Amino acid sequence: MAEVDFDQLVDEFYMSLYRFALSLSRKETDAGDLVQQTFYAWASKGHQLRDASKVKTWLFTTLYREFLAKRRYDERFVAVDDDSKFEEPAHVSPSAVDALDAVTVQDALLRLEDRYRGPVTLFYMQQHSYREIAEILAIPIGTVMSRISRGKAELRKALQDPFEHNARKIVQMEGEQAHG
Amino acid sequence: MDKREARSFLSVHRPSEDPVDARIAEAKKQATADPELAQWWTEEQELDRAIGAKLAAVPVPSNLRARLTSRPIPLPVAQRSWRRAALAAAAAVVVALAVLFGSWRGPFKPAASLADYRDEMVSFISLKPTLGLETSDLTRINDFLAKSGAPSQLELPPPLRRLEPVGCRTLRFRGQDVALVCFRRESGKTAHLFVVNRAALRGLRAKPQFAVQGEWTTATWIKGDHVYLLTVQGDQSTTEKYISDT
Repeated sequence: MAEVDFDQLVDEFYMSLYRFALSLSRKETDAGDLVQQTFYAWASKGHQLRDASKVKTWLFTTLYREFLAKRRYDERFVAVDDDSKFEEPAHVSPSAVDALDAVTVQDALLRLEDRYRGPVTLFYMQQHSYREIAEILAIPIGTVMSRISRGKAELRKALQDPFEHNARKIVQMEGEQAHG
Repeated sequence: MDKREARSFLSVHRPSEDPVDARIAEAKKQATADPELAQWWTEEQELDRAIGAKLAAVPVPSNLRARLTSRPIPLPVAQRSWRRAALAAAAAVVVALAVLFGSWRGPFKPAASLADYRDEMVSFISLKPTLGLETSDLTRINDFLAKSGAPSQLELPPPLRRLEPVGCRTLRFRGQDVALVCFRRESGKTAHLFVVNRAALRGLRAKPQFAVQGEWTTATWIKGDHVYLLTVQGDQSTTEKYISDT
């Protein structure tokens, strides 16, 4: 494989790797450590990769494995996936999402169940095909699709909370003006 | 397929990719013949773009890049192929000799040098890392470390036990779990104690070893199955007083 410049590799991927790590671990410190461990693994073992086009998938796969290894002592959520189950997501207006800040959307994402957060995050990054997501998470492509479907539906519900909250505030303010 | 089903399949389909499921292909075909469904799918893609843009704007710690590029990370092996070849040849000779003289005891277990470990731990605290648990209760610290899979049941020298704990966290060093426990010193500064399993390191000595790295003095000693590394701002005598037996 052609030589890959380490600093260039960091520049290209560290932000998206950090955001993926944050969605998995939910903790900024752990996310930073996971990214660091990933690049460490690259520096130690990256030369074994023969196909340069696989660098991105290799980094994300390695980070996900580090995450799984790190939480091996935690209680694991065991669930049986029904690969055929898809859900229609609730309607939310794109302009309503535009009005939210990034941290609010991130908070909604972090409220998803563990098994949905990884696939949904990779889906929204738009950097990976479904087959690559399946490879990174080591799950069948049908499971990727159903988890994205159900994860997106859950995310919409979580996103509707701030909208309802804001709508209540607007109604309340209008009521106050009427009395004033 | 009714419209509700079609929407559920279309919601996970990206137009840039081939449908990965026959039901998605069918829903896509249905959308070409149903303007209302096609309009719904267009809005759905706009919404995905809006959410994706927000997630891409989630802030990344400003010091992360510097941390990744300034830490003592080894050069990719491809950049030192002549050294790799020399090392491989040397390793082959060692294995051959070990087998020849009957001293072979199975595969080598890679262990880092104490110097590498010390360098990484000092550079880690230089970045002022946050703690996973903030408490002055050593029992809670021990429980946290045990639950995280890091070294626990620590055997602390009496002077360290007399300091007030601030908290702890775990980190990884070359695939090994490391415990970090912080103590508040009399001066108000922090003493950092790293603990890793003994098997993770090579080049250890029975007696405590001291080293100076910039403003930090480190002391390393072995107790039971663990290697303890204490880092303190100050000279050797300052550090020594925390690891004495009394």
